[in-house]
Amino acid sequence: MTLSDRDEMAELALKRVRESGAEYGDIRLMQSMSQTISGEDRRIASVRDVADSGFGVRVLYHGGWGFAASSILSLEEVPRVADLAIEIAKGSASLASERARLVDEPIHRDRVVTANRIDPFTVPLDQKTMLLQDVMEYVQRQPEVVRSHASLWARGDKKLFVSTEGTRLEFDLLAVQGEFTATARHDGRFASRTFTTPHLRTGYELIESANFMAEAPRIASQAVEKVKAPAVRPGTYDLVLDPEHLSLTMHESCGHPSELDRALGYEANYAGTSFLTPEKRGSFQYGSSQVNLVADNTEPDTLAATGYDDDGVACQKWDIVREGVFVGYCTNREVASKIGEARSKGSNRADSWGSVPIVRIANIGLEPGQASLQDLLADVKRGIYIEGHGSYSIDQRRYNFQFGGDAFWLIENGKRTHMLRDVIYHGITPEFWNSCDGVADRRYRRRYGFITCGKGQPGQSGWMTHAASHARFRRAAVIKG
Amino acid sequence: MSITTVKPWPKMTGRDEFRFLADLVLKRSSADQTVVNLYDQHSGTTRFASSRIIQNVDTRRGTLTVTVAFDGHRGSASTTDFSAGSVQDTLARAERIARVSPEDPEYLPPPDPQIFPTLQTSRPETAAAGPPRRLEYANEAIGQCRIENLEAAGIVSSSVASVGIAASNGLFAQEERTEARFSLTVQAEDATGWSAAAHRSIDHLRIQDRTLTAINKAKRSRDVQELPPGRYRVILEPAAVAGLWSWMLWTLDAKSYEKGTSPFADQLGRQILDERLTLQNLPGHPDLLGTGFTHEGLPSEDAVWIEKGVLKQLAYDRFTAKQQRIKRIATLEAPCLSASGPTALKTQELIKQCERAILVTNFWYIRTVNPTDLTLTGMTRDGTFLVEDGQITSAVRNFRFHESPLRVFRHVDACTEPAEAVTSETGKMLVPAVILRDFHFSSVTRF
Repeated sequence: MTLSDRDEMAELALKRVRESGAEYGDIRLMQSMSQTISGEDRRIASVRDVADSGFGVRVLYHGGWGFAASSILSLEEVPRVADLAIEIAKGSASLASERARLVDEPIHRDRVVTANRIDPFTVPLDQKTMLLQDVMEYVQRQPEVVRSHASLWARGDKKLFVSTEGTRLEFDLLAVQGEFTATARHDGRFASRTFTTPHLRTGYELIESANFMAEAPRIASQAVEKVKAPAVRPGTYDLVLDPEHLSLTMHESCGHPSELDRALGYEANYAGTSFLTPEKRGSFQYGSSQVNLVADNTEPDTLAATGYDDDGVACQKWDIVREGVFVGYCTNREVASKIGEARSKGSNRADSWGSVPIVRIANIGLEPGQASLQDLLADVKRGIYIEGHGSYSIDQRRYNFQFGGDAFWLIENGKRTHMLRDVIYHGITPEFWNSCDGVADRRYRRRYGFITCGKGQPGQSGWMTHAASHARFRRAAVIKG
Repeated sequence: MSITTVKPWPKMTGRDEFRFLADLVLKRSSADQTVVNLYDQHSGTTRFASSRIIQNVDTRRGTLTVTVAFDGHRGSASTTDFSAGSVQDTLARAERIARVSPEDPEYLPPPDPQIFPTLQTSRPETAAAGPPRRLEYANEAIGQCRIENLEAAGIVSSSVASVGIAASNGLFAQEERTEARFSLTVQAEDATGWSAAAHRSIDHLRIQDRTLTAINKAKRSRDVQELPPGRYRVILEPAAVAGLWSWMLWTLDAKSYEKGTSPFADQLGRQILDERLTLQNLPGHPDLLGTGFTHEGLPSEDAVWIEKGVLKQLAYDRFTAKQQRIKRIATLEAPCLSASGPTALKTQELIKQCERAILVTNFWYIRTVNPTDLTLTGMTRDGTFLVEDGQITSAVRNFRFHESPLRVFRHVDACTEPAEAVTSETGKMLVPAVILRDFHFSSVTRF
């Protein structure tokens, strides 16, 4: 389908919306391609190419929302789907006790392209499968490693967004990620260790620079060391958390509570609400003075840095927590007005043409501090150093959390000594972040992202990146998992 | 709402249309084996929060997936564009992938043509339900809550899907599946109550009953006290039981079992749970979401997975089944957990039996803590109560649990008949409410 075809479809849909008397409408036409290569126990278990195309029309009529979408991309289908979205919006408006209203946004006309050196879809498939087979073969050759998994993933999205306000945006986006896992067995137990690249908006150069084969010996030996390690003794420990681990901690305990739609009750029936209610903004002591959490949807290569969101709002950078105080939310054009903000932060995203955009977590990251990692460890008498992701769970208002990790080391008198297994820590979000007394400097900053952040009904997957340097937390409650 | 003035969606891909599309692929494929999967769905959801409609969507998405193999070298490609050119391009993509993919030592050709059960997987009233019906149900729930001066958040959804599989060896199956869902969270200031339903028929959602259930739970949750973490006797309602059992079912895979990375290691044929408990697959049960065939083209069948507490089945992939000389692969898409011996009719009767216990409506954010023994964690949600002397005396602040279902279901004090259970994190099951002892709540949250 040519660009002029898509423009013709967009105009056809938006003409119907304008003529209906609706106050707002937009259309997103998308053609996506993804490739997932999955390996298991030395073999390539599947290679899947998914082509997914369609369009969705969103209408705001007298304060009521309607949305209709179809994978049938044709000039005949567009007006029918637009009419359906209009009628659905009228139905919503008939029950509206309160009208939805959109805050203003300048009109944008732009094209956004992911910068990349190597298009992942042009890399020969046998080169990719060989990489996965080689790394699985290596880790499974190690005594006591009994299973291996490895995967590569890439996605490209070509999108056209046009609104009745005159905004027209073209997107040509890429995202890439790879990982592998070794599972070791010992004495009736089993344990896994994973190496993962971040999910980033780059080309295949991300995979090449990750150098799986150089990481494989460490991952395999740590899987074995982990399964043989002593179980943690429950108690109170200081924690030093690595950037990969912190990405999940931040996502769950800071990212989700800072979504304004949750704080306003939109997700009460599913993902939950938020303890960060609007009256706390500007005064609530979320964390210690070391804690500065910044949303930055403008940082190159990151998942939420798409130039504009699915409201057509330009990506921005803003504070969520400044010197420990909660100051900002992730918003869209609808909810921003409910807290008196004149402009959306640009955090409204849909996971496909068939989904309606909802407020998503931005690229929220922990700002670097002044310490080195050695400084953070040196001041710990009895603690645990944690890398990577493990078990995770948090309540629906984001107070009570519990996290595991991928690898754990006991810290004694300022030194990492040996690995531990079955480490789980739990706490209450603001108490935990108020116990943060040190953050490593910019040299240690790493970025990790998520593409499976579940929210919304029907469920959607959100994409965002969380950057951090290592950070230290005092006197956390640790139990044996 | 004048939806009738809008032209209807194009016809779903029926049996004949799927056969036509499949033939476009099968007749042109140069591969040794070719399989075509169809999933063509029309779905809609009306979502409400703070007692008003916040989202109202209707979507049609059709997906055709082609998988081919040359000498065990396999490739797969899919498309949402059903035009002849796109379907043939999808075949070409799958063939290109297969030609350069390494040989898969576990590859097996598609199953031989099968006889599939004919189940009532589609209900016309659900297929016909559109935005007006969903809006009507949402309005009913919101209205009941408004009368009580409470806030409602929830969804009403309905869908119809045409699902099919066709293969170059003559395997062919196609069926239409409908599904309707309702879930509601009622908010009474800081307190919440919840109820949910899923059914093939939208007429069976029982909006009024379930709304009253959620309202009553929210109202009873207003006066809340905090209890310390520890081990408690618990009454788990069916949704809470389904939450724990889902994780057991997901970890029954035979490959992990054979490789020693399963929590069920060496337990096949052994007593793993209370001897009163039996788990069956009942795809033809009218209140379950059974299907006639699996994604791989195997027939769904009645099967006993756990019999009187003894593990009888594992979830086999076809390769592991061949290795282990398993002739028939049991499926588990319509689980029913039941108990032998005397059972109570309703949860209320279990409450009357308890001198002191915690009543749990639902669990939330359940995750594995330790895969070796299937220790799980999660939170109680939307209605957690203290039971004393046979009645609910107050709500309690939500607990985090840290517990293995494999440990705690070794002894069940009492249970009800199986009841419909569905949560936002599980598929639909029939499971009883149960009384369990020494259930470990490891911490408490702030509400």
